Amino acid sequence: MHARSVRRGGLVDRLMRLRALIALAVLVVVFSSLSPEFLTTGNLSILVKHVAVNAILAIGMTFVILSGGIDLSVGSIAGLCGMVAGHLLSRGLTVESQGVTVYFDVWLVVATALLAGMLLGGINGWLVARLRVAPFIATLGMLYVARGAAMLMSGGATFPNLSGSAEFGNTGFPWLGAGLLLGMPVPVWLMVGLAVVGTFVASRTPFGREVYAIGGNERAALLAGVAVPQVKLAVYVISGFCAGLVGLIIASQLGASHPATGETFELNAIAAVVLGGTSLMGGRGTIGGTLIGAFVIGVLADGLVLLGVSEFWQMVIKGLVIVLAVVLDQFQKRST
Amino acid sequence: MKQTQREGGRRTGRTFSAGAVAGILALTVLTAACGTGGGEGGSSTGPRRIAVITPSHDNPFFKAEADAASARARELGYEVIVSSHDDDANRQDQLIDVAISRGVSAIILDNAGADASIAAVAKARDNNIPSILIDREINATGVAAAQIVSNNYQGATLAAEEFVRLMGETGAYVELVGRESDTNAGIRSRGFHDVIDKFPGLTLAGRQSANWDQREAFQKMETLIQANRNLKGVIAGNDTMALGAMAALKAAGLGHVIVVGFDGSPDAIASIKAGEIKATVLQPAAYIARLAVDQAHQLMTTGSTGQPEKQSIDCELVTPANADAFGVFARK
Repeated sequence: MHARSVRRGGLVDRLMRLRALIALAVLVVVFSSLSPEFLTTGNLSILVKHVAVNAILAIGMTFVILSGGIDLSVGSIAGLCGMVAGHLLSRGLTVESQGVTVYFDVWLVVATALLAGMLLGGINGWLVARLRVAPFIATLGMLYVARGAAMLMSGGATFPNLSGSAEFGNTGFPWLGAGLLLGMPVPVWLMVGLAVVGTFVASRTPFGREVYAIGGNERAALLAGVAVPQVKLAVYVISGFCAGLVGLIIASQLGASHPATGETFELNAIAAVVLGGTSLMGGRGTIGGTLIGAFVIGVLADGLVLLGVSEFWQMVIKGLVIVLAVVLDQFQKRST
Repeated sequence: MKQTQREGGRRTGRTFSAGAVAGILALTVLTAACGTGGGEGGSSTGPRRIAVITPSHDNPFFKAEADAASARARELGYEVIVSSHDDDANRQDQLIDVAISRGVSAIILDNAGADASIAAVAKARDNNIPSILIDREINATGVAAAQIVSNNYQGATLAAEEFVRLMGETGAYVELVGRESDTNAGIRSRGFHDVIDKFPGLTLAGRQSANWDQREAFQKMETLIQANRNLKGVIAGNDTMALGAMAALKAAGLGHVIVVGFDGSPDAIASIKAGEIKATVLQPAAYIARLAVDQAHQLMTTGSTGQPEKQSIDCELVTPANADAFGVFARK
C-alpha cells in the first residue's frame, strides 16, 4: 500500500506543487516589477515572518485535512493560548487558598500555553474520534467556546506589556515573536522546524501513512488494523499545538494579548492548505505544498500593501486566487 | 476488531443521546424559568429597566461606555440589561426585540450601522420605547430621542494639529485608516487631511486600512517601513492601530518615529506616559454614556430630554504633559 501511494501520489503531488509554485513565481515577478522595494532583503525577511504565522497554523491544519477532517477552531485556540500566556505573565497565577500569586518562568508560561492548545485540540479529537461528532461541528463548537473563554479571562480587555519584569524573573517573552536567531526571526525558525518535522512525520513514519490511509478510506484503514480513533485524536492535538504556538508568537510580537486575536485565521490556514494542493476530502496532499500555499497568500497580502492597493481590492484578489487554484486542481484531477 | 469498534460506537451513541435529551430538558426548564421571571419584572410594579446595547466589549472603548451607562442607570434606580451586537445589524435587531418584549423604558444604543440601524430604532419608537444613541449617529432624524456623539471631525483636526507641530511641518508620514466601511474612519481621515494637506512639506508616503486592528497594523506597518526607511511620522485612525504601528517601529529600531492615535484608550495613555506614542485625542465615551442615561431619565420623568436631538461633544488632546489627568475614557 505504501509503495502504491508513493508511486501514484508522487506524480500528482509534483504537479500540485508545480502549480502552486508557478502561481508563487508569477506573483513574485509581478510584484518585483511593480515595486522596487519588493525584492529587497529587508522586505523579504519581513514577508517570511508574516507568512510564518499562517504557515504554522496551516501545517497543523494539513494533518487534520489529510485525515479527512477540518479544524475551524485554530484561530480561537490561538487567541485563548495568547491570553493564557498574557495572564500568566502580567498577573501571575493566584492561589486563592494560599493567598499568594505565583509568577512562572517564561519557558513555563510557554509550555503551559502550548499544553492548553494541545488540550483543546485533544477535546476536538475526542469529540470527533470517540463521540463521532462531525469535525466541522465539533471544531465549530470549539471556535465559539475557546473565543468566549478568551474573552472571559480578562473581561474582554487586553493584557498589555508582556515584556515581564526583572522583579518576578519572567522577562524574555518578546524574543519568541520579535527575536533573531543567527540573523533570522525566531518565528521563521519555528516554521522551518515544523515544516521539516511535519514532512518527515507525514511521509516517513507509520503514523503519517495511517493519517493518509484514514483520509483515503477510513473503513479500509480500520479493517487494515489502523487505530483510527487514536490517530484522529493525534491530528487534532497537533493542530491545537500549532494554534497555541501561533497565539504565543502574536502575543510576543505585539507585546500584548488581545482576546479577539485570530478571528478568521482558520480560513487563511484552510486556504493555504487547499492552495498547496491538499484535497479537502483527505488522503492527498503534502506539507511542502501547504508551505507554498501559505507563501502565495503572504506574498499577495504584503505585495498589495506595498503597491498601495485598497483593502477592498485586496480581498477580491485574494478570493479570486484561491478559487482559481482550486479550479486548476479540478482540471488536473480530471486529466490524470 | 471490527466487532468491538461497532459495539463501542453504538454504546457511546446511546449514552450520548440520553445525555443530550437530559441537557435539552434542563435548558428548556431553565429558559422557561427565566422567561417567567422576566415577565413578572416587566410589569408596572417591578423596577423600571434600561437596555444598554453596544458593540463587542473586547474593545475597551465599548466596555467603558457600557459600564458607565449601567453604573449611572443603577444610581438612578433602574434595572439594567447589557448586551452586545458585535457590529451585526441583524443581531442588533434581535436584541432590540428582546428589549421590547422585556418592557424596557429606554434603550441606550451604540448602533451597528448608520443606515442598517434605522428600522430597528424606529421599531422601538413604535413600541413607545425611546432610544438614546451614543458614539455613532444614524442617517435619520426624528427616529431616536437623542443622538449624542463625540465630535470625530474636531478630534481629528486636534490630533492632526498636534501631529503637524511634532513633525515640525516637514517630512514623510504614513496614515493608517480604520475599517473603510465605517463612517468614523472616513470622518477622521478627512479631519486629518484638512489640516495636514495645508503643509506642503508633509508628504503622504503610504495610506492603508488596518481595520482598527492591532495585529493588522503591526504587519502592514512592517511592510510599509520597507518602502519608506526615512519615515518620520505615523497618524492612525484609532489607538489600537497606533499601538500596533508603534510595536512594529520599535522592532525595526525606529522607535523615534512620531506616532499619533485617536480614542484615548487606557493602553494608549500608558504608552504616552512611557514615552512611545506621542499623542492621542480622548473621546469622552464614559461621559457621553452617563449623559445619555441622564437624558433618558429626564425624558421619562418630564417628557423631554431638554436638549436638541443631535448633540456633539468635543474630544480632548492627550499628550505626555497632561496624560496623568485622564482615566478610562474620561477625565479623572
